[in-house]
Amino acid sequence: MSDGIIRIRDLARRYVMGQETVQALRGVSLEIRRNEYVAIMGPSGSGKSTMMNVLGCLDTPTSGEYWLNGHEVSRLSDDALARVRNKEIGFVFQTFNLLPRASALSNVELPLVYAGMRTRERRERAAAALERVGLANRMDHRPNELSGGQRQRVAIARALVNQPSILLADEPTGNLDSVTSEEIMRTFAELHGQGQTVVMVTHEPDIAAHAARVVVLRDGRVESDRSTERAAA
Amino acid sequence: MAAASLRTNKLRSALTILGVVIGVATVMAVASIVQGIRSQIFNAIEVAGPQVFYVIRFFSSVPLNPDRLPYEVRIRPIVSPEDAVAVRRVPQVSYAALWAQVNVRLEYEGERTQMMIVYAADDRFMEIVGGTLLSGRLFTRGEQAAGDRVIVLESDVARHLFGRVDPIGEVVRANGKAFRVIGVYQQPENIFQPPGQAMAGAIPYPAARENLHYDETNALFIAVKARTGVPVPEARDAVTVALRRVRNLRPGTPNTFDLMTQDQILDVVGKFTTYFFVAMVALSSVALLVGGIGVMAIMMVSVTDRTREIGLRKALGATRREVLWQFLVEAATLTLAGGLLGIVLGLLAGEAVKAVFGFHSAVPLWSAVLATVVSIGIGLIFGLVPANRAARMDPVEALRHE
Repeated sequence: MSDGIIRIRDLARRYVMGQETVQALRGVSLEIRRNEYVAIMGPSGSGKSTMMNVLGCLDTPTSGEYWLNGHEVSRLSDDALARVRNKEIGFVFQTFNLLPRASALSNVELPLVYAGMRTRERRERAAAALERVGLANRMDHRPNELSGGQRQRVAIARALVNQPSILLADEPTGNLDSVTSEEIMRTFAELHGQGQTVVMVTHEPDIAAHAARVVVLRDGRVESDRSTERAAA
Repeated sequence: MAAASLRTNKLRSALTILGVVIGVATVMAVASIVQGIRSQIFNAIEVAGPQVFYVIRFFSSVPLNPDRLPYEVRIRPIVSPEDAVAVRRVPQVSYAALWAQVNVRLEYEGERTQMMIVYAADDRFMEIVGGTLLSGRLFTRGEQAAGDRVIVLESDVARHLFGRVDPIGEVVRANGKAFRVIGVYQQPENIFQPPGQAMAGAIPYPAARENLHYDETNALFIAVKARTGVPVPEARDAVTVALRRVRNLRPGTPNTFDLMTQDQILDVVGKFTTYFFVAMVALSSVALLVGGIGVMAIMMVSVTDRTREIGLRKALGATRREVLWQFLVEAATLTLAGGLLGIVLGLLAGEAVKAVFGFHSAVPLWSAVLATVVSIGIGLIFGLVPANRAARMDPVEALRHE
C-alpha cells in the first residue's frame, strides 16, 4: 500500500441540466501523496471546479473510486461526507467566506464546533492556529476590520485548525493584489514545509508555479501532470 | 455596512415577532384578569357566610335558554311561602325565609340608577348576606309585618343618588312607588359585581309583593341558613327531605326544586371563567398563528440571504441536523423574545385593568410558564420549514450563491 493520501481511479462526473448531460469529468485517475504540494490548473470548463468539489467531498462522483486517507468516500451519505470534510479537509476559498459578524477567533473556531470540541480547548486551538498564520494580535477583530490578506490568513487558520489531511484551496489569491498574493503563497510554502499536504486549484500559471507539481485538466481529462523546477530544487 | 444590515434586521425581527407579542400579551392579560375575577368572587362568597344556601325553582350550572327549558323543569311549581315554612321547621336550619330578587331602577330628584337588584327580604337580611350598616337602621319586625315602604340602600347607590345629602329619611322611587330610606348598608368589601347586576338595597318582602312587579317563577327563592355546627351537606339533605314531603313527591321521582350552594356557585364561576379564558386563548391564538407565519416568512428570507453561510458551514463539517437546529434555535429565540415581551405587556395590561376595576390578584405562574413554552413552540414549529430548507441545501450550489 502506497502512502497516497488521495487516490482517484477512473473518476467521472456527469450533470444533467434540463435536456443536456454535461460531462464535467471523463475518467480521471490521480494519486497525491502525503506532504505533496499540487496545483490543479485548466481553462474554464476543463472540470477543475468539479474536481475541486469532488476532492473536497462536497460532491460525489457519478462513477469511479475516490480513496481519501485510506477510506473510500465516493459513495457516502451527506452527513457522512460532512464528517469527512470536518476531519480531513481544510478549505480556503477565493472569497474567504468568513462570517462577517464573528471575530477572527470565532471564525477559526467554527470547524471545531462541528467537531464537538469543548469551548475552552476550541479557544486554545483556534488561537494557536491564528498565531501560526501571524495573526496573534488580530483575534478579536471582525473581518471588516482586516485587510484582504489578513482575511485570507484567518481563512487559512480556519482550514488548519482541525489538522486536516489536505489543505484544499480554490483560487486562494483570486481576490488579492499581487503583493498580498505572494504573501499568501509564502504562507502555503511554509505550511508545506511543515509537512502539510496542499492542493490548490487555480487558473493563474504564476500562482501554480509555487506548487511542486502541476496537474492540468482539459475537457474533463488529465492533460499533463508534471513536477516543477521547485520540486527538483 | 454590517451594522446597517444588523439594524435593518432588528427592525425586521421586531415586526416579525409582533404577532407573537400580541398573542402572548392577550393570553397573559386575560389570565391575570380571569384570576382576579375568580379570587374576587370566591372571597365574596366566603365572606357571605359558609352556612348559607338557597332553594330556587331551577338552577343550572351550564347556561340554558330560559325560554326553552326542558318540560320537566317548566312544570315545576313556584317556590311558595308554604315551602319556606316547611324548611324553617327543619331542625338543622336556623333561618329560612322566602325572598325575591326584583329588578328596578331607583330615582331621587331626577337622579336615576341603572336597572339594579333590590332584595325583598326581612329584618335578618344582613345576617345572611353579610356587610355592615353604615348609618340608620334595618327595618323592624313591625315594618316587616306591615309591609311598610322602607328601604335600606347600598352605600354606592346612596352616594350616586344623594351625593352629599344625608339619605336617611329621604324618599326614593321604585316603579313610581315611594320608599323611605331608613338605612345605608355597605356590602362585604370583596363582592365582585358584573355591571347591570349590582345590588341596590333591601326592602321588606311584603312591600315588594304589594308595590313592585316581578316574575314569580324566577324571582322567588328561599334563603336558608344552617344551624351553627351543622355541616351544610347535612342541612341540605334535611331541607330536601322536608321539601319533597311538603310537595308530596313520590320516591323515585326527581326533585321539583334546586338547591344552590356555594360549592355550586363556585363551580359555575369556575366553569364560566374557564370558558371565557379558553375563548380568549382561541382568539389570541389567531395572533399567534399570524406571528408564526411571519416568523416562517422572515426565516425563509434569512435562509436565502445566508445561503453562502450555510454552504460554508456545511463545507466545514456541519451535518443536516446541525444546520436544521441552528435555524430552529434562531426562530425559537426570535419567538421567545416576542413571548417574553408579550408576557411583560400582558401583565402590565392586566394590572391596569385590575386597577381600574379595583381588585387585586397574583398572576398565576403557570400562565407565564405556558406563554414561554408556547412562544418557543411556535418558533420551532414555524421555523421547521425554513430550517429544513437550509439543512437540505447542496453545499456546492450554496457556496456558489451570490
